[in-house]
Amino acid sequence: MANNRRHFIIASVLIVISTVLVYWILDSVLLKPAAAVVEAGPIDEMFDQHIWLIAFLFALVAVFMCYALIVFRARGDEGDGEHIHGNGTLEIVWTVVPCFVVVYFAWYATTMLIDLTRPNPNEYVVVAEGRQWSWLFTYPESGAVTPELVLPVDTPVRVDLTSDDVLHNFWVPEFRVKQDTVPGKITNVRFTPNVIGEYVLRCAELCGTNHSGMLATVRVVSAEEFKLWQSEQLAQLQQ
Amino acid sequence: MSLFTLGLARGLFGQVLGMVVGMLLTCGVRILLGWEAWAAEPAWTVGSVCSIIGFLLAVGALDDWLQWTKGVATPIHHGPPVDKPAWTRYFSVDYNHKVIGVQYTVWGILLLMVGGTVAMIFRTELARSGLQFLGLDLYNSFIGMHGMIMIFAILLGVGGMANYLVPLMIGAEDMAFPRLNALGFWFNVPGSVLLLVSIFIGGWDAGWTAYPPLSARGPIGYQLFFLGVFAIGLSSIVGSLNLLVTLLRMRPAGMSLFRMPIFCWAVFATSLIQLTATQLIGTSFLMVSVQRALGMGFFDPRGILGEVSPMVGGGDPVLFQHLFWFYSHPAVYIFVLPGLGIVSELLPVFSRKPLFGYKWIALSSMAIAIVGFIVWGHHMFVSGYNDILRIPFMYATLLVAIPTGVKFFSWLGTMWGGKIHFDTPMLFVLGAISVFLIGGLTGPILATVPTDLPLHDSYFVVGHFHATMFGGFVFPFFAALYYWFPKVTGRMYNETLGKIHFYIMTPAFWVQTLGQMGVGVMGMRRRIADYDPTLGQGQIENWQLAVTIAGFAIAFGVMLMLWNFFQNAEVGVAAGDNPWRSRSPEWQIPSPIPEHSFPAPLHVVGEPYDYGLADSGYVTTASPGDD
Repeated sequence: MANNRRHFIIASVLIVISTVLVYWILDSVLLKPAAAVVEAGPIDEMFDQHIWLIAFLFALVAVFMCYALIVFRARGDEGDGEHIHGNGTLEIVWTVVPCFVVVYFAWYATTMLIDLTRPNPNEYVVVAEGRQWSWLFTYPESGAVTPELVLPVDTPVRVDLTSDDVLHNFWVPEFRVKQDTVPGKITNVRFTPNVIGEYVLRCAELCGTNHSGMLATVRVVSAEEFKLWQSEQLAQLQQ
Repeated sequence: MSLFTLGLARGLFGQVLGMVVGMLLTCGVRILLGWEAWAAEPAWTVGSVCSIIGFLLAVGALDDWLQWTKGVATPIHHGPPVDKPAWTRYFSVDYNHKVIGVQYTVWGILLLMVGGTVAMIFRTELARSGLQFLGLDLYNSFIGMHGMIMIFAILLGVGGMANYLVPLMIGAEDMAFPRLNALGFWFNVPGSVLLLVSIFIGGWDAGWTAYPPLSARGPIGYQLFFLGVFAIGLSSIVGSLNLLVTLLRMRPAGMSLFRMPIFCWAVFATSLIQLTATQLIGTSFLMVSVQRALGMGFFDPRGILGEVSPMVGGGDPVLFQHLFWFYSHPAVYIFVLPGLGIVSELLPVFSRKPLFGYKWIALSSMAIAIVGFIVWGHHMFVSGYNDILRIPFMYATLLVAIPTGVKFFSWLGTMWGGKIHFDTPMLFVLGAISVFLIGGLTGPILATVPTDLPLHDSYFVVGHFHATMFGGFVFPFFAALYYWFPKVTGRMYNETLGKIHFYIMTPAFWVQTLGQMGVGVMGMRRRIADYDPTLGQGQIENWQLAVTIAGFAIAFGVMLMLWNFFQNAEVGVAAGDNPWRSRSPEWQIPSPIPEHSFPAPLHVVGEPYDYGLADSGYVTTASPGDD
């Protein structure tokens, strides 16, 4: 028993070290694209908490496993190990404690999901239609139709999605959120771009031959530039 | 001896004949209706159905039942065929569960090699951005091909382990329904032939998930794909029914459910899912098949398929996804539960210590099986079904972590305080734990909707999924192959080669899975033939190359294993009856196992995993009254 306590102390120290090490590895391999919407803040924060949890649990199991493999390896003898069938208290602990972690993450995610999908009365609406293998954007305000998506910065946006043929998916990695387009119905996705720049919209639902090339340019521009662009579009429509 | 003494050759001939008959039948009906005689899609569809029946009739899997319809009794034939060489029984209908187990396993390994080769081809393409040698359509066909062939391979591997081991572990002479068992195996052959042939008549380009409307508009290959899957599904259903009855009705005196070897619990849980969920994938694929062939608009909202046949529309593509995932999520547990059962089965043997928390591990399999039925919605978090419903699916999905955690911690408890031996099977068990840990831990981040939004349909999912499949099936399956190889053949494999295989494959897989997850987070979508080389601050190509190299290393390791088995199956060192000093019933009888396995009925006299308890036994063939 005293021996076990010594083992647990050593293992605990190793777990702490390994957790930090695994987090560092994951953090340097899992390179997120730059964030360009308000929603990326909380989503990335939650992502980071998940990575810490993964690092800790990986370290917990891996350290105990490797430790047992070294300390309890058979040293040439043919004898058997301790005759222990289990430990009810331990089983209950490692069933109940994870329940709390699960409820924490589920609750955290639920509240965030409600925030992410909450309608905003001031949201700017664009209709995006996926077609094999291109995108078409309609601006209900002006009636303009364009092959590139232009959005004003710092304005909540709702993109109504539809499709004329098969399933597609609206995804700009810098915007984080993602939504399928479904023929026969309208789905939508909400975000608030907050960084001026040019991004690529990538279809993320297998849609046939040129699925990998089903891209569109997304430009997030300043409010003034957006007004200018809108009037240009209107002028073109009237011609 | 002519080729046709082999059932397999007769069956394949029957399959071709069936295809021709089905096609002629279609042409005949069309002529009678006054239509143009030849139409490719209906001809291939009816031909495929007839080809499955043709195969089963020609191979002889239905012989006994046909005899019964005439009132002729057909006793079960035991032992190798009398008028042919003994090895031919492996290529023909045979009712011995040990033969059927080997048939399943070998066919599964063959498909594993085909599926792996396909993966290596498109993995080579992905090593650099830009299209090097694959066309877009071929690439799209290959990813679906890889997925579905591997699923077949895994189902066959599971079937192989379950059919070979379950009767031995519970001391039964055979499965409850030997004829059904043989039929269950032989369904797989015409099914996989249809799948492989479909690539030559246009393939199918919507991935293994075959979502309509794309799959409803795709090439004719889809009809063969759907019917191939249907045949494999029938195999799953009859096979699992057989296993459930065997487990419930054929245990020996004294073997309560909680005294079964733990692998039997895993098979029990898996079979429950297979028996009740497989119908849903069969239904969903059949509905797309019928939508294509007859113009019923199940999944078609607008009648967009006018050019094939008139469509009325009114369907819903999302409905397909519900039906499909109601099977295909639990299917993941069909694949991994037996593998995790192998881990639990082998750990006590090589740790020389009782399985820690037997009942908890057994019941955690059941818990995973049951919760698995209410989590399908997480595959559809971005599909556009009711926003609010995503929340209960999220809770249910996260719940899976709890019984899975119980397994991990109980495995640690088993190793702790043991005397651990590092033979090749044990190494693969440890590899399985490390890899399944990666797969399991990357689950919750996909289960919580906000973090799933960026990761859904990205390569991160590919990494997560392959980690669960390798950790939950491939590594344990290889552990099982090494572990039971001496029991099946009576010969020992080469231990050094086995260890080399392990030390190549395991680190290679870590690199592969981490790389796949990495490129996914960088923004690479799954199922794309070409990717943007600027992703991940330009690092994506390095990782793609690393993943490709790792993939080839894994393939090399697998070839090493097969060569090892091939070399030693007949001329290896004699292994003895119980090289692992296991307590399980199959190790108490000679290797290779005699035709009737046990000389007398078993009696259970102790616990299955009482390692470390002196003078204790698990089973005996002597009746308890004898001593």
